[in-house]
Amino acid sequence: MDAKYLALVQMAVGGGVMGMAYALVAYGFQLTYAAGKAVNFGQGELVMLGAFAGITLTGIGLPYWAVVPGAMVVGALLGWFIERVAVRLALKQRNEGWILLTIIVGLFALSSVENIWGREDRPFPVPWPAEALDFFGISFTWSELAIVVGALGMMTLVELAKRYTMAGIAVQAVSADPDAAELCGIRSRSAISLSWAVSGAAAAFAGTVIGPVTTVGPTMAAALTLKAFSVAVVAGLDSGFGLVIAGVALGAAENLSGYALGSGWREAPGLILLILALALRPQGVFGKKIIRKV
Amino acid sequence: MKASRSVVAFLIATSFSPVAMAADVVKIALTGPFSGGSAPMGVSMRDGAKLAFSEINQRGGIIVGGKKMKVELIERDDEGKNDRGALVAQEISSMGDVSAVIGTVNTGVAVMGDKYYVEKGIVKIISPAAGSLSLTQWSKAGVKDLPIFRFAAHDGIQAQMVVEKALMLGLSKVAVLHDATNYGVSGRDDLIAQINRQGGKLKVVAVEKFAIGDKDMTGQLIKAKAAGAQAILIWGIGPEMAAVASGKEKLGFRVPMIGGWTLSMSNFIDTAGASGNGTLMPQTFIEDESIARAKPFIQAYHKAYGVAKIPSPVSAAQGYDAALLLAEAIHEAGSTSPAKIKLSLENLTVTVKGAIADWKKPWSKWNPSNVETHEAFRRANTVMGKVQNGRVVLANPAEKFVLQGTGTK
Repeated sequence: MDAKYLALVQMAVGGGVMGMAYALVAYGFQLTYAAGKAVNFGQGELVMLGAFAGITLTGIGLPYWAVVPGAMVVGALLGWFIERVAVRLALKQRNEGWILLTIIVGLFALSSVENIWGREDRPFPVPWPAEALDFFGISFTWSELAIVVGALGMMTLVELAKRYTMAGIAVQAVSADPDAAELCGIRSRSAISLSWAVSGAAAAFAGTVIGPVTTVGPTMAAALTLKAFSVAVVAGLDSGFGLVIAGVALGAAENLSGYALGSGWREAPGLILLILALALRPQGVFGKKIIRKV
Repeated sequence: MKASRSVVAFLIATSFSPVAMAADVVKIALTGPFSGGSAPMGVSMRDGAKLAFSEINQRGGIIVGGKKMKVELIERDDEGKNDRGALVAQEISSMGDVSAVIGTVNTGVAVMGDKYYVEKGIVKIISPAAGSLSLTQWSKAGVKDLPIFRFAAHDGIQAQMVVEKALMLGLSKVAVLHDATNYGVSGRDDLIAQINRQGGKLKVVAVEKFAIGDKDMTGQLIKAKAAGAQAILIWGIGPEMAAVASGKEKLGFRVPMIGGWTLSMSNFIDTAGASGNGTLMPQTFIEDESIARAKPFIQAYHKAYGVAKIPSPVSAAQGYDAALLLAEAIHEAGSTSPAKIKLSLENLTVTVKGAIADWKKPWSKWNPSNVETHEAFRRANTVMGKVQNGRVVLANPAEKFVLQGTGTK
């Protein structure tokens, strides 16, 4: 292949990998939105906390395969906690206070991290080698491969659980119609709590696979939340695997425009895509159109 | 009510009048980024200076006009941010009883903040910020009387050494990578100016920038690689340069990386890991106890702060020596007045034995057309360092004599 095209493909692949990371974080938005019609604007902070929990667990001598579930438990607890303190009351009162409250919890997490771990970016230790892999002239690292496998694996597992486990089906029922679900004996409150815990665990998991690529620091959260939310909105908040396509497209577009137009232009195409998607398909590119029967 | 309150405030202010207090202490401010990406440099500089002042205080203080005065330190974190740095400078310069300031890591902070010190005539020794702009801004403005001094190998010297090294390695094509801050941009200009000055034998085949916080440098590196660069000349700070090192590894682009002294920052060395090995940068100090002059300082620092490795050895040693020089200047001035301290810094009579060199009249009277008058370091004080397995060592062990030597210019 011509070196020029090879460079473009390399940039697109690198961006696509980051896009998978955005999709994984966006998946957390989707989970809580499905069950309780609310999202956590502090999702990026949960990713960061998951990464820091991972570093801390590695620091006390745990191997990587134990660090990841450990961080996910921390994430699940945090997700559950946020729903309990910040979201439930606001939704009960039928107001939009949860938007502010989830942002506040996120900011609180940010300050705590700065005070506990400091503001420095630090590497996330991983068991695989640092050498790059070569695939027909396109190079990528084991850590990037871990993002791709991790994101797809995590989403597949949760989607399977939604379809084939009792708890998953209950969450789906609540998502479809909370009142009808209650009549069938499903505690919708528990179903919503569960979805927030799973969302938190997914965010923490994201932290443990993104950390090795980007390094871990308190500032990693802000950009992630925004990008992931864009992906969730472009794809549609009920789009399932549509997120992956939107995420990969956004990541690749960012990298390509940074490469072609200069690094200052990285963010521009993502924003243009977001505006276009909202104008042309407000329900999301892969979202279902909601027909309101009157 | 309002009037009575201000009367009370006045009474409180005068009853604890600084007249009695100020007679006993010399107030010196230490400023720098003690948090954020530049923190390894800021913290090491601060701790190096504190080590010197605590040794001085243990001996009873600085002898000023025949009387021993203890040093009292004021510390301010500028977070490496220009606007925060400007606020810190405003605060310190309006305190009224601060004799001098040591600090600043980020050139942008010096550019934004130092005007407040210049207005009030407060003495500042810049260390370890190396960007040329922090002194050239005053020569461009034609300032006649400057209380700002530098104690760091400025980027002019560093760029010269980087280009010399590239030529010594027999290279002909290089890529210049830099961050988008004042430091990175002025470093890029210094590099290109040096390449021209050294006969234009190096061809710059790519100039690429990156932003603070960027983690993915593949784009810039692909362009450098495609253009046939045989080395990366780089100006930035630790975290982003580590991303460049790992990007190089990923692309299998195994060319030398040579750049500013910030490549010795712990957050470069630790984050880059094995991919940082072999990176070259100018150093004024190497944490190597086999250098007799450096050994006592290295041991004292390790003991005082309970570490086995100084986060930024250059910053720490420069902080230490700058503090010793400032103390000597205050002693020779026989006064805590900034104006007198400035004069004696320009005319130091005693040779100060530091951790880096024996400093014999490091500065002279400010001349706007020659910034070297307020620069302490020369090319002859500086060596090339190399990253090797998590530490910085001498790139050329034969250069050890430079760091042992007397260092007079």
